[in-house]
Amino acid sequence: MAYQLYRNTTLGNSLQESLDELIQSQQITPQLAFQVLLQFDKAINSALVQRVRNRVNFRGSLNTYRFCDNVWTFVLNDAEFREVTELIKVDKVNIVACDGINTGSNTTE
Amino acid sequence: MACGPGAEFCFPSPALQSVCAVCSSVGWAEAEARDPRGPCPAPPRPHPRLGAPTPPPRLAACARRADKWLVRHVRSVGLRGSSTCLGASPFSAFLTVRAPPMEEEQTYLELYLDQCVAQDDLAPSRSLLLSPVVPDDAYMSNPSHPETVFNSHLEEVKETSGHFSSVDLSFLPDELTQENKDQSIIRSKHEIEENYKTQSQQSRLSLSREQDIGLGLISNSSLSNSHSHLYPGDADSVQPSLEKPNSMPLVSITPMTPMTPVSECSGIVPQLQNIVSTVNLACKLDLKKIALHAKNAEYNPKRFAAVIMRIREPRTTALIFSSGKMVCTGAKSEEQSRLAARKYARVVQKLGFPARFLDFKIQNMVGSCDVRFAIRLEGLVLTHQQFSSYEPELFPGLIYRMVKPRIVLLIFVSGKVVLTGAKERSEIYEAFENIYPILKGFKKA
Repeated sequence: MAYQLYRNTTLGNSLQESLDELIQSQQITPQLAFQVLLQFDKAINSALVQRVRNRVNFRGSLNTYRFCDNVWTFVLNDAEFREVTELIKVDKVNIVACDGINTGSNTTE
Repeated sequence: MACGPGAEFCFPSPALQSVCAVCSSVGWAEAEARDPRGPCPAPPRPHPRLGAPTPPPRLAACARRADKWLVRHVRSVGLRGSSTCLGASPFSAFLTVRAPPMEEEQTYLELYLDQCVAQDDLAPSRSLLLSPVVPDDAYMSNPSHPETVFNSHLEEVKETSGHFSSVDLSFLPDELTQENKDQSIIRSKHEIEENYKTQSQQSRLSLSREQDIGLGLISNSSLSNSHSHLYPGDADSVQPSLEKPNSMPLVSITPMTPMTPVSECSGIVPQLQNIVSTVNLACKLDLKKIALHAKNAEYNPKRFAAVIMRIREPRTTALIFSSGKMVCTGAKSEEQSRLAARKYARVVQKLGFPARFLDFKIQNMVGSCDVRFAIRLEGLVLTHQQFSSYEPELFPGLIYRMVKPRIVLLIFVSGKVVLTGAKERSEIYEAFENIYPILKGFKKA
């Protein structure tokens, strides 16, 4: 099953709000909305793997880190997101990271 | 704050001399610059060794840095009965540290010296002091170090005044320069002989805890008296300066077991690099909750059944187990380790667990230093094969397992030495003092 990590993104949140509106107006059932979100998870994960080619570098000073349930959470201060085309600076960024498909835990426990 | 007022012995320690030679900080340089004779200037005459009536001002800068060290050292080690390098070496060893990075370093010195005092109290070996001073001959023929020279004097003093306490004054600095050493040796020998019968029964050396002597001075009447016997001219000037406002009650001073001649005292202090300690928080912990709510925590139960938490000050890492036991690593001193462990316990407590702080214990201490010369490891393993293991194809360092104290040393060709396995700081220092003469014997070319 794909990560539900991307539901709390601009795209994912917009989808969830739209689905909630449809449920409110009784046009779809909640079960259907749930299935839509599952399909969204699969779609977004595969799209990021298959269709995204560009690369962004970022650096900042680490404020805190956490690793629990195989999920890394970082808080960086004064981070710079650098792409070839542009540079974005932010004071604080929260990074939530899960294992990738090919970089997942391959070691046998 | 060089020699405090009223301190009767205001002479620089031999360690200060070596420190000055080694140290490159500005403060030291100042003192160096001021004294044409060498790094650590001798106090002004009449007698450089004993009881210059006033503190040598030139030593102020040096002393300022080292005075705390010296105060502690003097308080306990100074007049201990160690008649050898072992007594002097901790002192000189401590003083050769470039500059105590933290205040707590000085208390460590004090603690170490306290332990030495305790050891000495337990095992007085006055007879050692009163026995024919074999090292004297060695000293006579080897007046290359001020401490050597002075220790020889002290040996003699001990002999004569041995009845009052096996006081090892070997730590006391001797600022004599080369040309003066011989004269002093001869002079002191004569004086000691003639004053032997006239020695008073003063026995206890009271060491002032807060002596602001900075130069390894001892504030104690008996010592001053003994010295005054030797150097009558200085007695009057010295005597009045005995009373110290903060003098401690008389300390029973017994000699440490002399093991190595003073001439082999190293001027090097191993620096602690890592302390591992454990503590019991005495309550079951929910590691997942800790990992989710605490900052800077990792928890991967598939890999390791503990939360790995880090704090920045003191920079340490803790392994926190669900049983409530915790391991704290990475601190550079005992006090830092304890403080860090307390901080982790507080984090756990703030998450809602009834954490306590039971049975804090330091499990391992690691120190390292540099002897500053290349070492012939092959030679060392040949002669010390029952203690050494050297497999250059496996590991480039020689693994020396010292029996007493039970410390493992990693000795490298470059002259770097790593000491580990200690439960106490003093074990590291003692092990290094034990190995240093051996290493000197295997110096390359």
